[in-house]
Amino acid sequence: MNAQFQDNIYLPRLAVLDRVTDDIPEVKTFYWHFEDEAEQKRFGRFRPGQFAQVSVFGVGEFPASLPPSPTEAATFFTIRRVGSCTAALHQLRPGDRFGVRGPYGNGFPMEAYHGKNLVFVAGGIGLIPLRSCIVYALAHRQQYGRLQIFYGAKTPGELMYLPDLRRWEQTAGVECFLTVDRATDGWTGHVGVVGSLFKKPGVHVPVDNTVAFVCGPPVMFRFVIRDLLAMGFAEEAIVSTLERYMKCGVGKCGHCCIGVAYVCVDGPVFTYRQIKQLGEDI
Amino acid sequence: MRARIVARPNVLKIVDLLRQQGHEVVAPFCDRGRDTYFDVVTNENRDRVQIHLANPFYPPKRFVFPQIERLLTVQRHDGHLAIQPITRAPKRALFGIRSCDVAGIWHLDRFYLGGKYRDEYYANRRRNLFLVNVVCTDPDRDIGEECFCVCADTGPAAREHFDLQLTDLGDEFMAVAGSAAGEALFSDPIFAPATAAHVEQRRALLEAVRKRFKTTTSWFSATVRYVSQGQILEATWEQVGRRCLECGGCTFICPACTCFTVSDRPAGPGQIERVRIWDSCALAGFTRMAGGFNPRRAVHDRRNRRFFRKLAHYFIQRELSMACVGCGRCVAVCHGDIGMPSVVEMIRRATAPHPASAPAQP
Repeated sequence: MNAQFQDNIYLPRLAVLDRVTDDIPEVKTFYWHFEDEAEQKRFGRFRPGQFAQVSVFGVGEFPASLPPSPTEAATFFTIRRVGSCTAALHQLRPGDRFGVRGPYGNGFPMEAYHGKNLVFVAGGIGLIPLRSCIVYALAHRQQYGRLQIFYGAKTPGELMYLPDLRRWEQTAGVECFLTVDRATDGWTGHVGVVGSLFKKPGVHVPVDNTVAFVCGPPVMFRFVIRDLLAMGFAEEAIVSTLERYMKCGVGKCGHCCIGVAYVCVDGPVFTYRQIKQLGEDI
Repeated sequence: MRARIVARPNVLKIVDLLRQQGHEVVAPFCDRGRDTYFDVVTNENRDRVQIHLANPFYPPKRFVFPQIERLLTVQRHDGHLAIQPITRAPKRALFGIRSCDVAGIWHLDRFYLGGKYRDEYYANRRRNLFLVNVVCTDPDRDIGEECFCVCADTGPAAREHFDLQLTDLGDEFMAVAGSAAGEALFSDPIFAPATAAHVEQRRALLEAVRKRFKTTTSWFSATVRYVSQGQILEATWEQVGRRCLECGGCTFICPACTCFTVSDRPAGPGQIERVRIWDSCALAGFTRMAGGFNPRRAVHDRRNRRFFRKLAHYFIQRELSMACVGCGRCVAVCHGDIGMPSVVEMIRRATAPHPASAPAQP
């Protein structure tokens, strides 16, 4: 009775680690590719905001955002060392094998936002999932109105994707504003929480015909939402991506279910209105 | 007509037939006291298979969704890895499964096989499973103090989702086929044609049995409505939460609970295996993330979750059945007395008598 499963939803595909770069303390970016070329091609059609299940065999499996945009050639994860699986991933060296399955989740409906202004508000490692959308929007620049990026970290040393940020600051047609909670030596930029950037002289956040992407730690999320609503954003015009403990990524294990939604299949992208209706703390 | 009659001395010959067909037959047995259990039928224990007995505490769910199920192995060899899925599932028959548990398996079917993704491990076990349902007709032995299938609309006689159903008419049993595989058994000479009188006898018997249930509540459907509309007071969940010992027992004996966790463990030289293990929303770590943040830490939030997931109208529509089959096991297992009927009763007492006057919620 040994059946061959046509489509085994729990089966990871083997991936090879190509190189690892340091981002900020405890956070590294892992560039990788699938052993199987056809799998790589299939996977490459993911949408911004989707995620994958990453396996370090013998330790476990965890969900990880996909920071690359499907318009880029490279596939990579940016992972903070926080638990046993991520610690094990941080130990891997180029050439080592691990498992990936996905992409999963709904992702951001980037096509539905054509013709709109996009405002990205990120705090700390909240920039990881939003990076995909930003790069995607820049690759389809003519489809969108104004593009604004508001990004804050605790200290200048904890600003994610610094080369990308510097490039976005230089890119015409993108307004990129950075801030830190605490300035250290050499920081000449803005100091304050992310929301304080909205009131900075010279900053004008478009509200009409605009989608605001918000991603960051819970306390930042709450304050930014308050600011955006005060500015006149509708609850449906604010989108975010939720993080939950997940074991399967395909709506079966039950861990990520909030209200009537399984974050892994119905999310992880929700509008603020949906998040409010789910009725659980972000 | 898909009904036949089997003489009483021949009823266990159905077990023999299934074994001859190559099924591993699992059937209920009596242990000491009230204890009953499912076990594999062998030549030695075949005559001790019970028709009427208290439904075993451990539901037959594990034959389609084992407590610990091996999903795959990963073999390390010369720096390379090879992943091998484990797809073995025996050809198995469950003899004597109660109607509530038939409904439980049907609920699992909708959950694991429905939706966007189909669980092939479940599908594989389910495909190889033959269900012989025995209708609960003995008020003393079949129907426990806690049984409330009449309220959950799953029993005492399942209407569908079995392969074969047996109803005890006294000197003989009526056999009803629920699938082509069940009907195929009727070619054996132990099955004789049923008459209209037999059908009437079964109907009258069921009519009488339905009145012998000890635990009944007319508030189940009202509770479904209140849970779905978010009309239950936070204080009621806190009251439920205070009585929860956080043992997870209610979920582990529930024939309709589906949650699992996944773990890797060593399986030999250079080899690991990935297993899935039953998990429970009652446990504090169920939603705790690696960084320590836990969005559902309070025990009453976790209890609220259990009953919302089981009773909310959204999920009933999605899975076509409530995730409660009225088996009563959670009543028997819970030390804090917050099994399903008790919670329905707490909600009944706490909810305003006029639902129209309750605050409207989106």
